[in-house]
Amino acid sequence: MRSPAEIALSLGVVALGLGVAGVTATLPSEGGYAGIGPNFIPAVVAAGIIAVGVWLAIEAFTGGWRKAPEHTDTFAPAPFLWVSAGLFAHMLLIAWAGFIVAGTVLFAGVARGFGSRRVARDIALGLVFTIGIYLFFVKLLNVSLPAGWFAPLLGTAGI
Amino acid sequence: MEALNALIAGFGVALQPMNLLWGLVGVTLGTLVGVLPGVGPALTVAMLLPLTVRLDPTGALIMFAGIYYGAMFGGSTTTILLNTPGESASIATALEGNRMAKAGRAGPALATSAIGSFVAGSIATFLLTLLAPLVVELALKFGPADYFALMVFAFITVAAVLGNSTVRGLTSLFLGLLFGLVGIDSQTGQQRFAFGVPELLDGVDVVVLAVGLFAVGEALYVAAYQSRITATVEKVRGSLLMSAADWKRSWPAWLRATAIGFPFGTIPAGGSEIPTFLSYATEKKLTKHPEEFGNGAIEGVAGPEAANNAAATGVLVPLLTLGIPTSATAAILLGAFQNYGLQPGPLLFEAQKDLVWGLIASLYVGNVILLILNLPLIGLWVRVLQIPKDILYAGILVFATLGAYSLHQSWVDLATLYVFGLLGFAMRRWDIPVGPAVIGLILGPIAETQFRRALSISQGDVSVFFTHPISASFLALTALLIVVPWLVRRFRSTSS
Repeated sequence: MRSPAEIALSLGVVALGLGVAGVTATLPSEGGYAGIGPNFIPAVVAAGIIAVGVWLAIEAFTGGWRKAPEHTDTFAPAPFLWVSAGLFAHMLLIAWAGFIVAGTVLFAGVARGFGSRRVARDIALGLVFTIGIYLFFVKLLNVSLPAGWFAPLLGTAGI
Repeated sequence: MEALNALIAGFGVALQPMNLLWGLVGVTLGTLVGVLPGVGPALTVAMLLPLTVRLDPTGALIMFAGIYYGAMFGGSTTTILLNTPGESASIATALEGNRMAKAGRAGPALATSAIGSFVAGSIATFLLTLLAPLVVELALKFGPADYFALMVFAFITVAAVLGNSTVRGLTSLFLGLLFGLVGIDSQTGQQRFAFGVPELLDGVDVVVLAVGLFAVGEALYVAAYQSRITATVEKVRGSLLMSAADWKRSWPAWLRATAIGFPFGTIPAGGSEIPTFLSYATEKKLTKHPEEFGNGAIEGVAGPEAANNAAATGVLVPLLTLGIPTSATAAILLGAFQNYGLQPGPLLFEAQKDLVWGLIASLYVGNVILLILNLPLIGLWVRVLQIPKDILYAGILVFATLGAYSLHQSWVDLATLYVFGLLGFAMRRWDIPVGPAVIGLILGPIAETQFRRALSISQGDVSVFFTHPISASFLALTALLIVVPWLVRRFRSTSS
């Protein structure tokens, strides 16, 4: 059974190896006493990636990757996108809206991706969870996290 | 004798009230997170790493030893009570443990697992105490060429020999080696694969890779393929105590499993997976109750669980004495050492005697804490297991992103985390193992340093790797590992 995904992934690995080789070509090669420079191991890794990519491609074209377990579940795009959207929103929000807001949005997004339809409950749980973590890390462990929009509130509460 | 004195001094460190407290916190948190379905020991250790950033190295590493043990034990509780194993090492336990729980014997199953883990963990820690100084003495004779050859051997066994497919294992390894190249070359200061991005100059952090592959990748995978599957939690009914018959059937299994698990842990054989299955097969063969196997035989839980813990301790031998991680979890532990500027290996035993022996002593203490803590808290673990999937994964991802963000307070690390998440998703979907990538990331840069150091000493003469006896033996062993299975396969296909 030829699988288009396996063929695409195999060729992707080959392409990655070529890309690594391209970057390696820009690295200097002088190496002092050892006779090899900072480009030597990258060249080995590039060659290795290209080699395993070609090997994967050969398997993919001749009957599919060997000993791959049967996979019958169908891909559900919506949950995948909800989880991804949560992570992207978190990435964008964390620096200016703060850890609590970003974490709550992520929490609600992931919960939605896993089938939850109770948005208000998820936001409430997310708030409790992120505020708890915030206090634990900032107060107890001295790890700094951005307070963001919650800074005035946390400030007046003496935290 | 010297080891004994060092160990006694180590107990002096481990039993200091603060260190005892960190051990207790580590075991509790490790078990709590390790119990969560879908969270294996590697992810537990990676997720809890940020908790220790402000601790002194000794306290942090003692806490980590506790997290490591707790995570292992938490995983078995999940396997016994839930019908979806969280980690490969628990699959053998699931065969009998889940059946026992279904038959209303969850209590004895959990008890034999807890006591067996204690017995095996304690014996294995004792073996570690005896063995470590011997390996250190040997390792002091190793030159850079020998280290490099040993690492090649470790790479090939974890990537090419174990697992379903040699080529997919190697793909994972080379990806890990590539990530290990990102950053500043330690020998020349040359930037490599960082593309001028400041966050990448520090290199790829093992927490970001491990959390990306294990937590983000797993969440994307489960969301996309399995979000509607719900697992059932078995109730813990009746007594937690084992009957006299249970004891009689359990203890030989614990001892046999320790003998199987510990040696497997010390060699690069991918951690606990093989010894747990070997122990299961052994018990199945030796049992006087073959009819119970498949329906909840207590030996089938006692053996694999003890083997799992003995192997987990055995893994610490090459990690501490040689600086070689042989499982993904060990690689993350090595990353924790590196965060404190410590490089495990023979020199650490000389330079940081108190720290190393304090850590080893804390393993004995951790085993005791685990035993005391776990059975009484079983009600809490059961409740943790009942957290619904949507809340569970939401919480895991909030915690996972926190670890990545706290590195540089930058969204770039979060973007890297997502990229690794996509990679983890693809690897899970198309059966590419993730362990070799994590080991490659951590061990790759060390191997490169040793390789270039060896060539510097020999003035660029490559023959050093083949003329030094230790190095040559490791390379010969590696060659055998590749050639022999291939020959066997050829021979089989031509004869049939």
